[in-house]
Amino acid sequence: MSSPAHLHAPPSAEPAVMELERLLTMAGQIGDFFAPYPPERAAEGVRNHLRSYWEPRMRAALLAHIEAGAHGLAPQVVAGARLLQDEAAAQKSYYGPPRA
Amino acid sequence: MPLPLQPERSVVTVCAYCGVGCALEAQTRAGRIVRMLPWKEGKSNHGHSCVKGRFAYHYYNDPDRVRTPLIRDSIDEPWREASWDEAIAFAAAGLRGVQQRHGVRSIGAVSSSRCTNEEIYLTQKLARAVFGNNNIDNCARICHSPTQFGLSATIGAGAASQHFDSILQADVILVVGANPTEGHPVFGSLLKRRVRQGATLLVIDPRRTETVSSPHCQATVHLALRPGTNVLVLNSVAHVIVTEGLYREAFVRERCEWPEFERWQALVSDPRYAPEVAGPEAGLDPEAIRTLARRYAAGPNSAIYYGLGVTEHSQGSTGVMCLGNLALACGMLGREGVGVNPLRGQGNVQGGSCLGSWPHVYSGYRFVSDPEVRASFEAGWGVALDPEPGLRLPNMFDAAVGGDFRGMFIMGEDPVQSDPNQNHVIAAMRNMEFVVLQDLYRNETSKYAHVLLPGSSALEKDGTFTNAERRVSRVRQVVPPLAGLQDWEVVVRLMNAMGYATQYRDAGEVLLELASLTPAYSGLSFELLERIGSAQWPVDAKAPEGTEVLHLERFPRANGLGTFMLTGYVPTTERCSERYPLLLTTGRILTQYNAGTQTRRSANSQWHPEDVLEISAADAIARGIRDGEQVQVSSRFGSTQLKAVYSQRVNPGVVYTTFHHAESRVNALTSDRSDWATNCPEYKVTAVEVLRVAAPAGVSAASTQASEVLA
Repeated sequence: MSSPAHLHAPPSAEPAVMELERLLTMAGQIGDFFAPYPPERAAEGVRNHLRSYWEPRMRAALLAHIEAGAHGLAPQVVAGARLLQDEAAAQKSYYGPPRA
Repeated sequence: MPLPLQPERSVVTVCAYCGVGCALEAQTRAGRIVRMLPWKEGKSNHGHSCVKGRFAYHYYNDPDRVRTPLIRDSIDEPWREASWDEAIAFAAAGLRGVQQRHGVRSIGAVSSSRCTNEEIYLTQKLARAVFGNNNIDNCARICHSPTQFGLSATIGAGAASQHFDSILQADVILVVGANPTEGHPVFGSLLKRRVRQGATLLVIDPRRTETVSSPHCQATVHLALRPGTNVLVLNSVAHVIVTEGLYREAFVRERCEWPEFERWQALVSDPRYAPEVAGPEAGLDPEAIRTLARRYAAGPNSAIYYGLGVTEHSQGSTGVMCLGNLALACGMLGREGVGVNPLRGQGNVQGGSCLGSWPHVYSGYRFVSDPEVRASFEAGWGVALDPEPGLRLPNMFDAAVGGDFRGMFIMGEDPVQSDPNQNHVIAAMRNMEFVVLQDLYRNETSKYAHVLLPGSSALEKDGTFTNAERRVSRVRQVVPPLAGLQDWEVVVRLMNAMGYATQYRDAGEVLLELASLTPAYSGLSFELLERIGSAQWPVDAKAPEGTEVLHLERFPRANGLGTFMLTGYVPTTERCSERYPLLLTTGRILTQYNAGTQTRRSANSQWHPEDVLEISAADAIARGIRDGEQVQVSSRFGSTQLKAVYSQRVNPGVVYTTFHHAESRVNALTSDRSDWATNCPEYKVTAVEVLRVAAPAGVSAASTQASEVLA
């Protein structure tokens, strides 16, 4: 059940909650949905989705992959995931399905 | 003719099969059920029932029922019988042991839509308040989770906008990815009645189902689209409505967010969604798409009914949003005869959704990450709660394979049979250190369990179910539980054994507690249901006896307006290839129910003794397959054997089967692809190849199947 070597999170990370490849597929699908939106809203949509629906270990694994170069991720996914680290974005305290 | 035996006792309860939730009168004699009669006062069935509710009740005292708790230290050992006390203590110690070794978040729970609202509520409480995490999910994950997501995004409530009887006011009925004649038969009859009265029937479905064409009921337009192209086709329908100016501007301006409408209008106006472009891509005549769009928009009352053919796709949530967008654009919400209505599969899927068996929301769809909401549950339950969303069911299995998730409490579910990519689920089950299963029978999943607690059927317990039209009805105990305890009592015992002291007098007290923490259910009580029979949520101070039609004046969103989501078409990555040139899609038939656990244990099996593969004659002949011959069906994920039957219901390129029999192993074929928003599996699209089986003479094909599941 191992994934290709380049997909592995950096060695400092905790044991993977699931195969990174699967997480990246899921993140990519979320990015595809938000692609038709203007960049700022797409990033906010990705951020809210990850914050509301992804278990923290899944979010941490995605962020670790982004820190390691974000290989294979669309720009709105990277921007949205980075917003998770931003306290100001958390202040909006919005949860749930995407807000149009 | 002998006179029928006179019953000694008669109890009105609700059918445990599909989401129609028919009221039935169960009659008993000498402590056994002798008859099920459809109840005339039932507001969802008005005295009708189908062959499942009416006849398939013998499962409850089938010899296969588990009547004593069973335990074992390892899944390689035989089961040992145990008392309830011993089994509950064993289960509690096992689950806590996993947490001590691997952390608080290393275990989780799954509840079932076959259980009552009260049991589903208590199971979420078990996970959140007792396990101390949010690893709680329910089987709606694999059927209608996109409904909740897609409808709440657009119209604010993830539930049917109408009551069933509303269809009798509809002029146009659009059925998408559903076959109510077979899947929801009593509602299907109501639909046909309306069509016979003159309503126009429009169907979008890959298969020429009984709903499309049956005696006295013909669809005006049927779009037999290629599986996986729902969003493309629905965007094309929207394209026609927008570019031909068929939308209702006054409604959109008054009731919706106009700037979002304009954004959506721009998206669907794109030439890639013109019927002349999208139609051929989906295998459809462009003119048929235009006709369907014009009919739907013209109304005056157009109602949408949809099923798992919309949700079980990699764009399932987007497909649901498309339906919400269409209804808003054409002003088909907020009165009788219109609306967007999911046809829910199981008797209590709506309740399962409402009552918080989700890793991200408490009962009433309120987010665990929201501090205010969380505080109200912390006050109600008297414990601090995990602020982070938990793992979803497919992610629990992913994490079990990865090693981060090691224990589970499974209530009334058989994920090894019913979840996709069976080999992956089995690997996950094998990897777990401790699994507690509560079920009526030994099943595929019990092979990997350490504790098997006897479940109680809906005929043996008290509580409530919420049907597909949001109707909450009383489930009443007809016979005592075979193993002595109702399911909710078992959950309460497990909570106590794991160190959370709690007691309830009866299921009615659980209902009062959940009502106090769930706004839409706030007015519900056994007393109310005794008095008025049933009630559709919201049942609250404003609507003390419930609400038939939602969205009359505003949508339940912060600003009260409906909104449009941008629904770009993203084709699934599950594609045909030279090696897997056909698309397999799945469905149900009238006489059997889902995984068949209950109906297969009744004489209904004589109507459907096995699952068969429907294949077009062209595809069969090209492969040298004769009608009725055993074939090998293979996908990228696994293979199984089925009997092939020539069918005119499927187009060349598409094959179809039902999934009522474990031996068919249909989920050995299905992929691990899932909906982008909810991880609802893409059951409806699997690329396969079908080949003849050269079975040795005298050996039946079934007995040649060497599989772990059958072993």
